[in-house]
Amino acid sequence: MKDPARAMDRTLVVDDSPTMRRMVMASLREVCDGGFAEAASGLEAIEQLAIGPAAVMILDLNMPDMHGLEVLRFVRNHPSLKRLPVIVLTTRGDDASRAAALDAGATLYLTKPFAPHALAGHVRALIGNSTAERA
Amino acid sequence: MSGESPFASFMDEYFAECDEHLAAIRRLLLEIEPVAAAGGAAPQDAIEELFRSFHSIKGISGMVELREAEMLAHHLESYLRELRGRESRLTAVGLDALVAGVDALERTIAARRDGHAPPAVEAIVGSLEAVTPSAVAASATEGDAAPPATWRVTFAPAGELLGRGINVDVVRARLRQTGRIVSAAPKIRGGSVAFEFLVAGALDEATVVAWRADGIEAEPVLAEPAPGMPEPAEAQGGDGGARLAPSHVVRVDLTRLDELMRIIGDLVISRARLEAALAPMERRVPPVEWRAVQEHSQTIERQLRDLREGLMRVRLVPVGEIFRRMPFVVRDLARDTGKQVRLEMRGQDTEIDKFLIERMMDPVLHLVRNAVSHGLEDPADRVAAGKSAEGTLTLGAASVGDMVMIEVADDGRGIDSSAVAARARAMGIAVADGPIDTATVLDLICTPGFSTREETDRASGRGVGMAVVKNTIEELNGHLALQSAPGEGTRFVIELPLTLSITDALIAHVGDRTFAVPQGHVREVVEIDPVSVRVIEGHELAPFRGGSLPILRLARLFGMTERQRRALHVFVVGTGTEAVGVAVDRVSGQREIVVRSMADALVKASGIAGATDLGDGRAVLILNLPDLARHARTSLTRAGEVGNR
Amino acid sequence: MAAETFILFSVAGTTYALRSRDVAHVEMIEQVTAVPNAAAFVDGVVFSRGAVVPALNLRARFGFERTPYGVSSRLIVIHHAGRTVGLVVDAAREFAVIDDGSIHPPAAALTGLSGRYLEGVANLGDRLVLVLNLEAVLEFSDPVLEQHA
Repeated sequence: MKDPARAMDRTLVVDDSPTMRRMVMASLREVCDGGFAEAASGLEAIEQLAIGPAAVMILDLNMPDMHGLEVLRFVRNHPSLKRLPVIVLTTRGDDASRAAALDAGATLYLTKPFAPHALAGHVRALIGNSTAERA
Repeated sequence: MSGESPFASFMDEYFAECDEHLAAIRRLLLEIEPVAAAGGAAPQDAIEELFRSFHSIKGISGMVELREAEMLAHHLESYLRELRGRESRLTAVGLDALVAGVDALERTIAARRDGHAPPAVEAIVGSLEAVTPSAVAASATEGDAAPPATWRVTFAPAGELLGRGINVDVVRARLRQTGRIVSAAPKIRGGSVAFEFLVAGALDEATVVAWRADGIEAEPVLAEPAPGMPEPAEAQGGDGGARLAPSHVVRVDLTRLDELMRIIGDLVISRARLEAALAPMERRVPPVEWRAVQEHSQTIERQLRDLREGLMRVRLVPVGEIFRRMPFVVRDLARDTGKQVRLEMRGQDTEIDKFLIERMMDPVLHLVRNAVSHGLEDPADRVAAGKSAEGTLTLGAASVGDMVMIEVADDGRGIDSSAVAARARAMGIAVADGPIDTATVLDLICTPGFSTREETDRASGRGVGMAVVKNTIEELNGHLALQSAPGEGTRFVIELPLTLSITDALIAHVGDRTFAVPQGHVREVVEIDPVSVRVIEGHELAPFRGGSLPILRLARLFGMTERQRRALHVFVVGTGTEAVGVAVDRVSGQREIVVRSMADALVKASGIAGATDLGDGRAVLILNLPDLARHARTSLTRAGEVGNR
Repeated sequence: MAAETFILFSVAGTTYALRSRDVAHVEMIEQVTAVPNAAAFVDGVVFSRGAVVPALNLRARFGFERTPYGVSSRLIVIHHAGRTVGLVVDAAREFAVIDDGSIHPPAAALTGLSGRYLEGVANLGDRLVLVLNLEAVLEFSDPVLEQHA
């Protein structure tokens, strides 16, 4: 489902831990040509999506106010966001959450802690690397 | 530590974020503590916040591969999960396990930051597992539970339902069993009343259908924020918006600020050198041009001062950081010693240099422990003495000009000066007969080896005694004072300069020697006619403001030859009955000086706080007058003793 | 057989050696500011590269008579066990490589010092060089207690 146009949109990183967000962005620096937007809660994530298009959303599940799954359900219910690739971050060994995430419409899940190249690989596969595309 | 984690470069941010979480955690633990004491139900929003904090710490600890912290956070998270969503009871045992766990977590993270081995934590993990029954089996692999969904439940009371015993209370009880009631509000619907609940819980189809028969309508709710105006995410821990991104706050490493401070110090010295080099040229330059040069020089001096003050403000941090953990320390100690203690804290917003906060943590802790262990009496003794069974421990901070005062005071038994004197004599220290003043008492209790009860138990072998407390304070150019009244209480006052590196000082001369006297210590500078000085029992006294002021001659204290002068220039240090005058030959002005520390044992002397360069490359000693005065009084007393034998 | 570089200096006519790795730098002695109530062998403090460094007079430390600083007097600034201290010596201008094996324990009669401050004695060609025990030289207890003892 590679979409060259997508590659230039920003990547939305949603996690209530600022350190985690920075680690995600560091992992994806080479892959995300369109830059990043950050959100520390579900509500902010939705606000960011309202402001502008995103190439892909990296979504943590356990956040204040609005759980990640609720964000996911909201996104999947929204006509213009239905096809947004979403990578959900879950904690090690949590089968229940993983299942719930896939049911709610996650494109992919990844368990924390993750290796940077693993995340980068998944994201590249989802959005297409524009330099690779041009090559 | 084999093989660096891929996120090793994030350690600074990791530590900073853990700090924030731990601060919030401590605040929350304080909030729920009275609940545990009363054996009640834990407040759910506090539980929720605690759960999320541990969850976050677990997540990032895993990412930077700090396994021990990840594991501890995991156990703490598991216990919080138990308490969450089911209004479980929080027991005193549970809270203790939590507090111990948080403590261990803090120490584990600090150990990594400071490069030590992490502490052993099996016992603590054990006690956490003991209070977390169902989570234990799944321990290492448990992750986020599926979140409770939100339901909107509406109940319209009706006669028929009431007849069957179904009223709003019953409905509320049912809802509480399925989850947590987020909100409940009455509404007017078509002229009649209905109740609308928002519930976070799990409702299955069967229950929804069954409830319909009882007039209860339940429908799932998806969060519907208006995209243009989201509710602001609440800042956790009251630390002020640190979770909103983007933030206007920049985290800066303290070593970078130290470096900036050093550079500014060098600038100050360079400017002084420039001025010194220019001075001889005044004669050879036309006055107009000279004035221009002077103006520029003064502008630079002013700008440097502004820069210095600006940087100083960046380094300032509320003293409350030291006080933050005191409630826990006091609570534990009170329990261990069987005393009742009320802790009062004042002036937590007073700001002090971050470096000083870190150095003062242990000394303040030590004073607090002493106050509870030794200062305050047993409840029975207190009542017998006509006091309330509960003792009061006061922690206060205030800024006074260029200095910060921190006080630790108790309303306990006070310090028995004759017992102190007796113990000192037993140690071979010469002590004058008769009543000794509190300054001497303080000196004695700060003598190394004075207390046989040096803290090695709870301080985990760090051996912080009063001697170390005093040393630390003096190394920071500060001053420790004691006030005590038998039967009434004890008060320690720590005075510290706001910043170490650059300060305003008066330049004093004794003979051909020059000294710098930090202005913060000096209450007044006065001129005294030597003729008016009287000698009483070996001490010199001068009339001063209707009373008398003890005079210490700096020349004498430093073993230099004294000269007869027309007038004595005296720095007045301390206030009221504690005031002392230190006499010098001449005061030549005021300068901004860069303080360079002088910590080596070879040159550590009472009353000398460091050295500075006034522009010619020579080391000029900086005096700590309060310490000098106190030390002088003690040694003159001792010399008096020796002389009397 | 390990060999190390040493810096050679002289105090009261005798040549001593210090390991180069303990030496930060050597400088001329300028103004030394006396510190009141410091030990007799401490001349005071001096600014060296922006830091305050104590100046320990080796003549006084070894029990020799003090002499005023001369043109060849030097301050050897050492770093050891976290401390930075300056040693005042009569002259210092040579480096030498000394084998571990050439350093023998000092014979008490030989030196006139109690040997307390020496690690050993080395033969350097036809010269006898005394290797300094830096720890012993720097070791120090509170002068106040010493006076009252």
